[in-house]
Amino acid sequence: MSISQRQLALLLITPGLALVAALFLYPLSFSLISAFTGPKGGFSLDAFRKAWELYSGDILFTVVIVLVSCSLTGLAAIVIAGTLTLGENRLIVGTLKALYRWPLFIPFIVAAQCMRTFLAKNGLMNNSFVAMGLMEPLQAVSFLDWRGIIATFVWKQTPFVALLLAGALAAIDRATLEAGRNLGASRLRVLVELALPQVMPQLLVALVLSFVTMLSVLSVPMMVAGSQPTLLTVDMAFRINAYGDYATANALGVITYLLSAGAAIIYLKRGMAKEGAP
Amino acid sequence: MRAGSQVMSGVGAAIEVRGLHVAYGGTKVLHGVDLDFAPGSFTALLGSSGCGKTTLLRALSGFVPVLSGSIAVGGKDVAGLPPEKRGMAMVFQSYALWPHMTVLQNIGYGLKLRGASKRDIAAKVCSLLAMLGLAGYEDRKVTAMSGGQRQRVALGRALAVDPGILLLDEPLSNLDAKIRLTMRHEIRAIQQRLGVTTIHVTHDREEAMTMADRLVIMNAGRIAQIGTPEEVYDRPNSAFVANFMGAENVLPVHVVTGAGRTTITAGEARHVLPRERDLALPAGEALAYFRDDAASLDAPDAEPGEDLVVPGRIAARSYPGGLYRYRVEAAGRQLTVDHTIRHEPGAAVGLRIPLSRLHIFPAAQASIQASIPA
Repeated sequence: MSISQRQLALLLITPGLALVAALFLYPLSFSLISAFTGPKGGFSLDAFRKAWELYSGDILFTVVIVLVSCSLTGLAAIVIAGTLTLGENRLIVGTLKALYRWPLFIPFIVAAQCMRTFLAKNGLMNNSFVAMGLMEPLQAVSFLDWRGIIATFVWKQTPFVALLLAGALAAIDRATLEAGRNLGASRLRVLVELALPQVMPQLLVALVLSFVTMLSVLSVPMMVAGSQPTLLTVDMAFRINAYGDYATANALGVITYLLSAGAAIIYLKRGMAKEGAP
Repeated sequence: MRAGSQVMSGVGAAIEVRGLHVAYGGTKVLHGVDLDFAPGSFTALLGSSGCGKTTLLRALSGFVPVLSGSIAVGGKDVAGLPPEKRGMAMVFQSYALWPHMTVLQNIGYGLKLRGASKRDIAAKVCSLLAMLGLAGYEDRKVTAMSGGQRQRVALGRALAVDPGILLLDEPLSNLDAKIRLTMRHEIRAIQQRLGVTTIHVTHDREEAMTMADRLVIMNAGRIAQIGTPEEVYDRPNSAFVANFMGAENVLPVHVVTGAGRTTITAGEARHVLPRERDLALPAGEALAYFRDDAASLDAPDAEPGEDLVVPGRIAARSYPGGLYRYRVEAAGRQLTVDHTIRHEPGAAVGLRIPLSRLHIFPAAQASIQASIPA
């Protein structure tokens, strides 16, 4: 490529680069600096100290909720993708195929609202149980707490993970699965011992992406479980809206970044291992 | 080599297929197949793409549902059983090894499913690897092996469970020519040693002929002919089989029978068969099939003797090595003939074909056979 072409290429990507710089790099650096700046200016870890004092419980809560949600999402996605790949009942496979992607097209805030009406004490789920005679109205319990958050996250993220997983399963050599059945393995064993190990990288990538998505959702914890403890996103919004305390909010943001970075490292390591493989 | 099959047989199971119909979606692929497999026999299912040979194998193994008919293994109908309950081990065209497992884990998987101890699995895999010429490869990743080695591992994996029936689905088609020849002999030798009933699907004629005791030629979802390699090659029962087995030259002939003798006319050539040589040929219009190497070139007016000499003209010549290959125009057809002596294109020649090397079928039957898509 000659110099002029190089310059032309740079010119072409300039608008994109400028957008990234203005809308992402600038606010990011600004937040980072703000998180490490004391009330009187200069470098300080005060904001982090305060964030830890007030919200250490929420940090732990966030990590646990997101990890549990990821595990359950993975499990549900394996069941769905496994059924789609190895299922023999055409009706079940067809119905599942038609239905499972729907939550992908529903925004988190709408999903959260649906869960509120479904999981509340007098919500659709409890009402249905009562109507079916499975329990008394007095026994009805609200699930609008940590359980509600997990339910919403799993409901919303399962189709995404299942989509990637089903694609990966469809791409592996079908004969490797038939070989297992031919030797005497049941369909469950074929899925667990032969199919899943071949698509582990794709499953892990899908789960890492879900982990990062769940970390950044504000609407779900706010709408489904208003009380303490809650997720870090709610705490950040609260620091800013109630107190104008950007320093602590930014410190919480940095902590969220670090959590995501942990997941991102796994993602990148997987990517490199895959590229390095023969 | 074939004589040994009687000695070792006994481990293999017998299979009886009766009235097997199979369809994909709404399309019928097998139209009533009846076939017996003797214990310890090596049968090749041979046919061109889409003839139903792979479907038959997959129906036997349980991967394709059967529309109607029965598949009895050792007297027990298995047509309704899932693949894992049929006791047949299959070797796949793509090898289908599990890339996340080592050689030991791949070959030992069937034994693990059967609850064998780790020590037993290791011992069995070790002896199989020794038999397959892969001793010491236990801990190798299968992704780090060559095509030939992978195919051996796939064979080992199928044999590890001591199956009564071994199904081979074009196992050699992904290998390069040299390794393919070696593997043919190895698979055949192992089959003889173990006496396992083997069914081998292939579209490679030579592979089927050299490996199997018996060929089953399939065409459009039906069995066209069953027989030993010699029977099918030398005495094809239909125009399709003759053509499929390599008799690709077609010469239109006219056969007149009666008055104690048979006369064959091909273009300007005419041959009267003596009474004792009467071959029960179909009277009327017929098509004669013969192989490139069955005919030779002679003078146009040469004495026919026991042969049919059809006058023609050389249209083209090539040299594939060892002999010349001619395109000859004779009796209104383009025919391919191999001959050792060099002739110039355009020269008038006599195409000499021994009558015993001609496969003659009535024109009506031949054209019906030819119109069925292969």
